[in-house]
Amino acid sequence: MAESNAVEIRDVVKVFGFGEFAFSAVDHASIAIRKNEFFTLLGPSGCGKTTLLRLIAGFEFPTSGEIILNGEDIGTMPPFKRPINTVFQSYALFPHMTVAENIGFGLTMLGRPKQEVRDRVAAMLKLVRMENLAGRRTSQISGGQQQRVALARALAPQPKVLLLDEPLSALDYKLRKDMQIELKRLQGETGITFIFVTHDQEEALTMSDRIAVMSAGKILQVDSPRAIYDAPADRFVADFIGETNFLSGRIGSVTDGIAHVDTAMAGRISATLPRDFVAEGDVTVVLRPEHAALCDADDPAACQTTGTLENIVYFGTDTHYHVRLGDGETQFMLREQNKPLQRQRFSVGDRVGILFEPNAARVLRN
Amino acid sequence: MTQPGTIEAERSRDIRKRWLLSLPALLIVLLAATGPLLIVLLYSFLTPGPYGDVLWKPSPDGWIGVFLERDIFTETLSLADAHVSIFVRSVLLSLATTLVTLLFGFPTAYFIATRPERTRELWLLLITIPFWTNLLIRTFAVLQIIRNEGLINTLLMKFGLIERPIQMLFTDGAILTGMVYVYLPLMVLPVYANLEKLDFRLVEAAYDLYATPFRVLTKIIIPLAKPGLIAGSILVFIPALGAYVTPSILGGGKNLMLGNLIELQFGQGRNWPLGSALSITLMLIVTVALLVYVRNVGSQEKRHG
Repeated sequence: MAESNAVEIRDVVKVFGFGEFAFSAVDHASIAIRKNEFFTLLGPSGCGKTTLLRLIAGFEFPTSGEIILNGEDIGTMPPFKRPINTVFQSYALFPHMTVAENIGFGLTMLGRPKQEVRDRVAAMLKLVRMENLAGRRTSQISGGQQQRVALARALAPQPKVLLLDEPLSALDYKLRKDMQIELKRLQGETGITFIFVTHDQEEALTMSDRIAVMSAGKILQVDSPRAIYDAPADRFVADFIGETNFLSGRIGSVTDGIAHVDTAMAGRISATLPRDFVAEGDVTVVLRPEHAALCDADDPAACQTTGTLENIVYFGTDTHYHVRLGDGETQFMLREQNKPLQRQRFSVGDRVGILFEPNAARVLRN
Repeated sequence: MTQPGTIEAERSRDIRKRWLLSLPALLIVLLAATGPLLIVLLYSFLTPGPYGDVLWKPSPDGWIGVFLERDIFTETLSLADAHVSIFVRSVLLSLATTLVTLLFGFPTAYFIATRPERTRELWLLLITIPFWTNLLIRTFAVLQIIRNEGLINTLLMKFGLIERPIQMLFTDGAILTGMVYVYLPLMVLPVYANLEKLDFRLVEAAYDLYATPFRVLTKIIIPLAKPGLIAGSILVFIPALGAYVTPSILGGGKNLMLGNLIELQFGQGRNWPLGSALSITLMLIVTVALLVYVRNVGSQEKRHG
């Protein structure tokens, strides 16, 4: 059981500052990261994800708790003794060394024979497709190339775990997309456990095997991307990952895991209940924008609710509609996929109806 | 649209205006730097006057006297051992001063550079405090500490560690101590300026890549701080080579350095041409040191850039 874990974080707390200024950057966090997993720490800036990464790297030491690697608590081990390497957000390439010297640095420090270092550097350059730039200074290559060198440098010593601290945030959109695929390929080819930190939920969803969503130093949910998106554990996760409509109401009845919730805004909604969750009374129901559609307001039987269309945002692949519901306060978002040669059915200011996909709504654990 | 002729005229007017604007600066360079230097150069080729000053009669004796001396009776030239030993002592003492200030200055600068940003200025202020006091007074303060009846000897004798005072004053060691004390800030400041810009994430990256703290120092921090270390070394070496006050007080007139030798020629020696020639020789040594520095840093930049 323990052997299938690459890194295990047990009840780790990291407090910065003293006395009344003390604050917990990481607050009783526990995660088991499996071997050969692409694991992502996701959360808004300041949520403690980078601190957690730095604790694993050894740049910070935990105030309490354990960090287990290979069955050993490495919590107080200095970074140069941990078989863990980091790809830094700023890349942190050594400016006084060539690309090849940068990549070989870790192995040289480990005291590996020169020939082995050379061979390994060559293999790494090939892996990141940078063979022809070995002799360049790091200041003479582009941002995307620096990114690859940083990756190659961190992978060269064949660490047990590779930590990546928002490594793609400095790249432009297209390059970022390419690097996302590249990272997945490298992870597959090297078989190294990747722990990836990002605040970009789309990046997290597309790349990860599992995601830990963090907020205010706490780990809120650890799950597969699909489970995180489809079944968010709480309001924060639901709100942070993707766009969500929140509707409050009262549970009327429950049949076969489907709750019938009476809402002021949209009448009775049938919503899926989380497993092992006994809900009664006041609850919040969440509905993703893509699980609703616009319909003709003049046909109330076909629509769940009605409102005024306030805004239309064209996204290329789909169009987002913002609808002000009857109370004049709640804004409802919905998203429709664009079809070729489609005519715009509604315009801003129109009274529109909203149709929910059956059982797509979900009751939140409070 | 515009005539080429008018553009040309405008350009020349522009150039004239620029020269006019830089005139004050040129004047200062001419009067304050080049002029005196030319006078010194001219004097070095003249004959010494009987009561100092110079006679307007050309003579190579000033330059001959830099490293050679004329036997009074036989008129033969031989190597001026005294001058050579003063040159050697000056260069060695200056190099030693540079080395010791490096040894103390680097950790000091590193310490300041790694303090929180708010407190760095305070530390820098503390480093510059000795500058607020006159050099002469500071040197006498060192004298008070190291002389035979001074603080160190008194304390050592009181604790029974020595029986009679150790002769520290009027030695090369005394000059070295004094110069290290005086020139240390000149090392700390440029090294600090360099370390302050150092990206400490590179240090973390090196730690992450299995470099021990010592390796981080030798492989990352020192190579990256090199421009500051070289600048600091030059800033210390040049004034140390020409130092006058410190060696004359702490060396007691026995252990002369170049500055004292030059002063001697303009004072008691009444040999201004020799003094001038010595001054220019000192300048040449400094120029060579600077050229080595420029070449070193330049080639490094080339490799880096």
